[in-house]
Amino acid sequence: MFIEPIYKDALVFSSLLSLLSLGLTLTFLTTRIPNFAHGCFATVGIYVALTVHKVFKADIYYGLPLAFLLTGFLALLQYLVVLKPLSRRRASVITLMVATIALELILLAVLNIYADYLARTFKISSRYFQLRGADFQLAGERGLLFVAPSLVAITTLLLHLALTKTKFGVAMRATIENPDLASALGINADLVYKVSWFLAGGLAGLAGGLLPLWFIGNPDTGDYMLVSIFAASVTGGLFSIYGGLFGGFFVGFVEVLGTGKLALSVGTWIIPYRPIIPLLAMVITLLIAPRGITGIMVSRVRFKWIRVWRWTG
Amino acid sequence: MTLPVEALFLVDLMSTFAPYLLVTLSLNLEYGYTGVPDFGKTLAVAGGAFLVGYLPGRLLMQLLGVGLGLSYVEHNAEIVTKINEFLRVNVPLSMAVLALTLALAMVVGAALGFLVSHPAIRLREISLAMVFLAAGEALVVIGHNYPELAGGTLGIGVPDVFAWAGEYRFPMVTAFMIAVVVAVFIYLYLLTKSPLGRLLRAVRDDENAALALGKDVTKVRIKVITLASAITALGGALYAIYTGSVIAAAYQKVSWTFWPWVMVILGGTANNVGVVLGTFVFVTVRKLIIFYKDAFAPYVPFDVVWLDMLLLGVALILILLYRPEGLIPEKPIKTVAVRRVTAALKLREPGIKG
Repeated sequence: MFIEPIYKDALVFSSLLSLLSLGLTLTFLTTRIPNFAHGCFATVGIYVALTVHKVFKADIYYGLPLAFLLTGFLALLQYLVVLKPLSRRRASVITLMVATIALELILLAVLNIYADYLARTFKISSRYFQLRGADFQLAGERGLLFVAPSLVAITTLLLHLALTKTKFGVAMRATIENPDLASALGINADLVYKVSWFLAGGLAGLAGGLLPLWFIGNPDTGDYMLVSIFAASVTGGLFSIYGGLFGGFFVGFVEVLGTGKLALSVGTWIIPYRPIIPLLAMVITLLIAPRGITGIMVSRVRFKWIRVWRWTG
Repeated sequence: MTLPVEALFLVDLMSTFAPYLLVTLSLNLEYGYTGVPDFGKTLAVAGGAFLVGYLPGRLLMQLLGVGLGLSYVEHNAEIVTKINEFLRVNVPLSMAVLALTLALAMVVGAALGFLVSHPAIRLREISLAMVFLAAGEALVVIGHNYPELAGGTLGIGVPDVFAWAGEYRFPMVTAFMIAVVVAVFIYLYLLTKSPLGRLLRAVRDDENAALALGKDVTKVRIKVITLASAITALGGALYAIYTGSVIAAAYQKVSWTFWPWVMVILGGTANNVGVVLGTFVFVTVRKLIIFYKDAFAPYVPFDVVWLDMLLLGVALILILLYRPEGLIPEKPIKTVAVRRVTAALKLREPGIKG
């Protein structure tokens, strides 16, 4: 069976992107913080993968739990040490955003320092590297082609089950809808926030840990992807948990396939303009449907209810 | 005669300080006074710089009849060298080109700001910031890949309108930039002290109150974004003229959007003097790190540039946590009426402080 390579690229890229934008949406939904350091979480995962593969000579997939835990705790630490004290002081969204930019700069610097350290101490190429050879083969294809989409499917399923069937999931939804009311009912909102930051970081770490199997890794890879991640979250809808997942696939496919198909029809000069596609998707979404694709139907339903309520009341 | 090392360091410091000050003062006007989160400072900076890369060279080519029929981008070094020979002896022409370039850079900046403000103005906070960020990134991507604009990945040389100053060229440009900055500072200082300045704060603090008083809040925001973008573009253009070249890769969101934000927050929002101080401290610390980089280098097993970034990030977080109002906080406006009332209160009750 022959599939055009561009569709495989699009599938893998979209899967990883949707894991990343899911995390971004999750922390925005719960704590109302647009996290600019989110891309750097993915880079942490990338370097965990590199270290596991090149320094410890282990299979790259064994590094995934480590990447999940490490970035998860890093995100939790970031929330507890910097962002929670700030938001407790009722800092504005913009102040919180600037704080995450500062954290992004710190992570970027630490990652660069670590890359220099790896290169000088272990003599491995720690910049612009890729680990395609480290992947297993399945049915003549590289393993990541199956692993990445399955990971997204499993995450979605678990998330859906957790949100609808468990007590904590219901508490989480309540906290998102109305934090004050949820707290009044005895729900530990702070725990919900902590868990969402841990999960967001962990998922970004997973995506990052898989990324060098297909794409090129560098200390600024995550930072470079940040624009796409934000575009995916905003396009999918920042006000719905599934918005991130959906937006990731939408923007990922539009970005990869759009560039590829346009290059065929108008010429290859269009390829370097690829970063503009997610930006356009984001700006158009913000102008037409500020709440994103998943927000469209919800807002209509709500609007209807308000009208009904006005007629009857 | 060559300048001593200290003087060179000072010129280098001031030449970075001056363009950044134009960016931070305009950001302060937008965010500090009016509450518009402009995360796309790169847009106007790159706009101004790209104009410097695009226009003066082509204009002088036609005017002086240099290298006619040749592509300005492909034969850039050759053409610019020839143009510089003319400019070296023709001071009035140099100054005329400088004035025209700066004026057009401001027009380009204003146009870019006006264009972005229109779709963006309907949005609030985070979404607004996102649109600004996207616009800035998009322009840099275009500049990076469309060589006609600013030489693409290779960059482009700019005719030197200060070539007549000879070996004092760099101090001369720096002095000129400082003169421009002083003029802009006085203008913004008077503007923010005037009733208009109070209107801006009203728009920032309570949009509905401003609306109720019959002020067109949207129009105020659009005007502020347009004005601030023009000033920012001036900064970008001056910096490009100083360095003598334009390369799109130099206009990254970190150095032209995030750093100005750090400077403004460090100095204190809605306080022009504070922003000057914040910008000065930031630029000086960075320059000192770069100046003494070689002294550090043997002791650390990595490139010192990253240490610089790490320190900046940590410093910003400490400021946000422990001194969110910045080095010099915003001060209440002392209008004539307020002064009169406090004076009267002081007369009646010596215990009350104004």
